[in-house]
Amino acid sequence: MQSGEFKTISGDEQKATETPQQATHGVAASVRAISKSFKKARVLEDIDFDVAEGESLVLLGASGSGKTTILRIIAGLEEPDTGRVILHGKDVTELPARERGVGVIFQSYALFPRMNVEQNIGYGLRIRHRARREIKETVDGLIELVGLEEHRKKYPSQLSGGQQQRVAIARTLAYKPQVLLFDEPFGALDAQMRVRLRREIHTLLKKVNLPAIFITHDQEEALELGDRIAVLNAGRLEQIGTPDEVYNRPETEYVATFLGAANLLLGVVNDETVEIGTASIPAQEEAARFRDGQSVKLVFRPEDVCLSLTGRLPEACRRLTNGVIEEISFVGAYERLMVRLDLVARQATEGAPPLYNVTINTPEKRTGIPIIVTRPKPEAAANRLSVNERVAVGLRAFRVLPNYTLASERAGRILDSNKR
Amino acid sequence: MSTKLSPLRHVRGFDVVRPLSIATMIAIMLPLVLLPLASIFIFGTSKGLDSFWKSITADEAVFALKLSLVTSFWATAFNVVFGLFAAYVLSRYNFRGRNAVIIIISLPTAIPTAVAGFALILLWGPYGVLGRFLEPQGIHVMLTAWAIILANIFVTFPLAFGVIKPVFDTMSRSLEEASATIGATRWQTFWHVTLPSLRGAIVTGALLTFARALGEFGSTILVSGNLAMQTQTAPLYIYTEFQNNHVPEANAVAIVLVLLSFGIFSVLFLARDWLDTE
Repeated sequence: MQSGEFKTISGDEQKATETPQQATHGVAASVRAISKSFKKARVLEDIDFDVAEGESLVLLGASGSGKTTILRIIAGLEEPDTGRVILHGKDVTELPARERGVGVIFQSYALFPRMNVEQNIGYGLRIRHRARREIKETVDGLIELVGLEEHRKKYPSQLSGGQQQRVAIARTLAYKPQVLLFDEPFGALDAQMRVRLRREIHTLLKKVNLPAIFITHDQEEALELGDRIAVLNAGRLEQIGTPDEVYNRPETEYVATFLGAANLLLGVVNDETVEIGTASIPAQEEAARFRDGQSVKLVFRPEDVCLSLTGRLPEACRRLTNGVIEEISFVGAYERLMVRLDLVARQATEGAPPLYNVTINTPEKRTGIPIIVTRPKPEAAANRLSVNERVAVGLRAFRVLPNYTLASERAGRILDSNKR
Repeated sequence: MSTKLSPLRHVRGFDVVRPLSIATMIAIMLPLVLLPLASIFIFGTSKGLDSFWKSITADEAVFALKLSLVTSFWATAFNVVFGLFAAYVLSRYNFRGRNAVIIIISLPTAIPTAVAGFALILLWGPYGVLGRFLEPQGIHVMLTAWAIILANIFVTFPLAFGVIKPVFDTMSRSLEEASATIGATRWQTFWHVTLPSLRGAIVTGALLTFARALGEFGSTILVSGNLAMQTQTAPLYIYTEFQNNHVPEANAVAIVLVLLSFGIFSVLFLARDWLDTE
């Protein structure tokens, strides 16, 4: 009933059936080739993406990646140097913020301190000089939608963080925004509240069926909130895709390491296998796009590693090498192990420059390469392992990425971002 | 020796230093501030309330008080509106010479009031920079109530600005940005969002300006001509009556001025929670 009531407010009935896969038609918002510099610093470089009707897109990036600037450009609070912002087919690049019909939920919520909940929510209609009755009906509907019936006369300072956020959302919904923009919506809240509010917002968004763009630096948040995730790094879009795509099929090293833990091994492609030091792993599919001899990175998640004392690995696992367990720690829902692989950096063939090496993202200098492995509780219990035991190591899944650090364009790009 | 403690300072449960320091503080304030104020009331009412009432309802006294209130009001109104505007411009826009403007706005507090009055005469007086052109048109600024307002504006110029500007500076931009994204025009944002947040600063600035303008003497006496029933403000009346040995008359008006100041101060003090801007 609440959603029905809201739909009469939003007036958009047909978009309910649309799914993110249909992004090509029913595009709600597009950002086209946006670039932006502040003084001499380039903050955004050729950013391009679409948000479909009813879709939630998460812009994920570390601080300074430019994600806030994108949001502000879409909202009209910042002007791009080049590029266009298109909302529902209309180019709004030149329009001021107030004419765009975009709902921004600020990190601080930015509720008006001298207005109570009702007045805050009704503000958008009041300034549009709507009839008092219409304002009251809309505000009542929204207060019910966000469940703040008991707090309608309260002032922002009397509300909890979560309640303030709901007021902020309702305040934007009142004027039927074309798209909702959330600026680090959970940044100001403690961990427990975050998880709860995340669910709440997710449900609410599905209810009102509005396209939304979130910005966050929290990968867990991104995976949960986003129908799709756009990973930003130093002002560039690294990858955009569904949570499954960016998590399980990262296209760059940055995406792989930013979205959760990842082990990285440097190797070289040779005859449908990836050779890592003295070991090799069959990778017919993964390495298909590389030519023999090309330097690559093998990327895999800690949970995709299988270990076996007997040397017999499960069917789905491809054997990589052996290793010694160095450390076992229990981290709540799973067990975390550090396994030192029996890998020795392969000598460069005579005369050839040492193009590749075996590395891992720990600074330790010992023979062998440590990797991080996680095992869920049931498996850890069924298959006990202890420190110093030798195990066979296999991988359930991995990605092979080009070792861009050697490619000139990638090298230029990294230098570029270091300068900043 | 460290074990031998001073009995004065270490009596358990009774700290002698506390009452002593409070008493000393009040003793110093007594002849400097408290007794002068008390004397006004003691002398002013010593001949009975009838005499006080007669002095205060004298035409010239009533006129002087009214003139003070009216000129102070207009000076306050102008300075609050201008202070608000200037604070908005100076905290929202960056331009060359911005700091110079801020310093110039604050300057009048540092200028002796007599100099301020003199400067106004040199501008608006019959032979002044501007006055010489107005004089032939029959426009007289000096020696009128306008001159008093101008003098009040000059000497209280930075007060409201000084209170409002810091609030502007610290005010979160996201409130205004939120209002803009919701669809408000600049004016709507200013009226519904910015101004309510400045409420406290505006009231505080206005009261300070008014209190200061009410008591202005140095510049007023130069520009007004001190004509009874024409350009004589309350402080000028006190001065003139005292010069003419009419002590009870001067005293009665002095009491009213003290009470007014006291009232303004009480508002500032008692309503400080309300005036606090978030």
